[in-house]
Amino acid sequence: MSATAVCHAVQLGDWRQLLAVIWDFLSLSLFSLGGGNTLLTEYHRMAVDQYCWLSSRQFADIYAIAEAAPGPSSMIVGLLGMGAAVKEGPLWGVFSGLMAEIAILLPSTLLMVAAALSWNRTLNSPGRVAFERGLGPVTLGILFAVGLKILRISDHDTPAYAVSLVVCVLMLRTKISPLWFMAVAGLMGALGLVNR
Amino acid sequence: MADDAAQPTHWQLFIGMQQVALSSFGGGLSAWSERIVVEQRQWMTKEEFITGLTVARLFPGPNQINMAVYIGSRFRGLTGAIAALFGMLLLPFSLLMLLGLGYFYLHEILAVDRVLAGVITASAGMALSMGFKIAGAYSRDPVAMLLAGASFLAMTVFHVRLVPLVLVAGPLAMAWYWPRGEQR
Repeated sequence: MSATAVCHAVQLGDWRQLLAVIWDFLSLSLFSLGGGNTLLTEYHRMAVDQYCWLSSRQFADIYAIAEAAPGPSSMIVGLLGMGAAVKEGPLWGVFSGLMAEIAILLPSTLLMVAAALSWNRTLNSPGRVAFERGLGPVTLGILFAVGLKILRISDHDTPAYAVSLVVCVLMLRTKISPLWFMAVAGLMGALGLVNR
Repeated sequence: MADDAAQPTHWQLFIGMQQVALSSFGGGLSAWSERIVVEQRQWMTKEEFITGLTVARLFPGPNQINMAVYIGSRFRGLTGAIAALFGMLLLPFSLLMLLGLGYFYLHEILAVDRVLAGVITASAGMALSMGFKIAGAYSRDPVAMLLAGASFLAMTVFHVRLVPLVLVAGPLAMAWYWPRGEQR
């Protein structure tokens, strides 16, 4: 994984590139363990390091927007797709976002349909037990890696880290809606108490 | 669910899932899903719903989206799944696209950028909490902690990519936890 010195931005106006990106999301879909958050470092690598659609800072912004917006936060893929093409106009941005979202959801959805139609067999097989118990710890390790990655790209000074740690503890210890944390932290940003 | 008359149509699946999505603006998607599907519309019993949730969590893909797909396909097969999926995602995704356009065209504005600089510290804290949230389930199993630690190090220190990591660690972990004899 050597970091490339120059990052050549890939944009989706060219249909070949669009297809390449759709393929990337399609092939990641079935690796989305534990509800999809395990894919976040891979998204970052794609969008920031490989295709240069976004800066690391924009990625952190987009992650926050996807978390704050109503609905499943895994829709961040739609925003990544948008970031890839938005320079070519808002319509391209939305189209590309939609394509990316469809690509990431298609394989897992088809598998889920198959599972729903044969669920009793799935639930009773020994493979299911092994899968659940075995992949659980792997997912745990990946989620810690993802959390650390997001923390590193979001926070750059002590006050920022302090806010993140407090939010982390409150997330685990209370049932306060995360929207409040984001609202308060946003206010702190507006007042200049935390900076990038 | 043998009674065909009681089964929701495609349109009802679409509307029902849209109701779930709308109700959960502000959070609590999972709770709203159960309230609407089990209590209000009575498409499933609570047991059926929980079974579905187990399958949805087990399989790859976002849990709540998988759950919508599960509900749709149980009643109307693939097309039902698509109807439920559209119902679940249409409004939130449209709104997200608007937010995204707003972001990409407005983030240069200083005030927007400063607010976001604050918000991302909170979302980073939320991201950090994801691992801790499920860690308790594994903390008494040394093999599980070893697997988790190895996966963590592989990604953060050795920069192993997600797909090869899952393809190597997954089968190893599954082999270790494969139910043997009459243990369970």
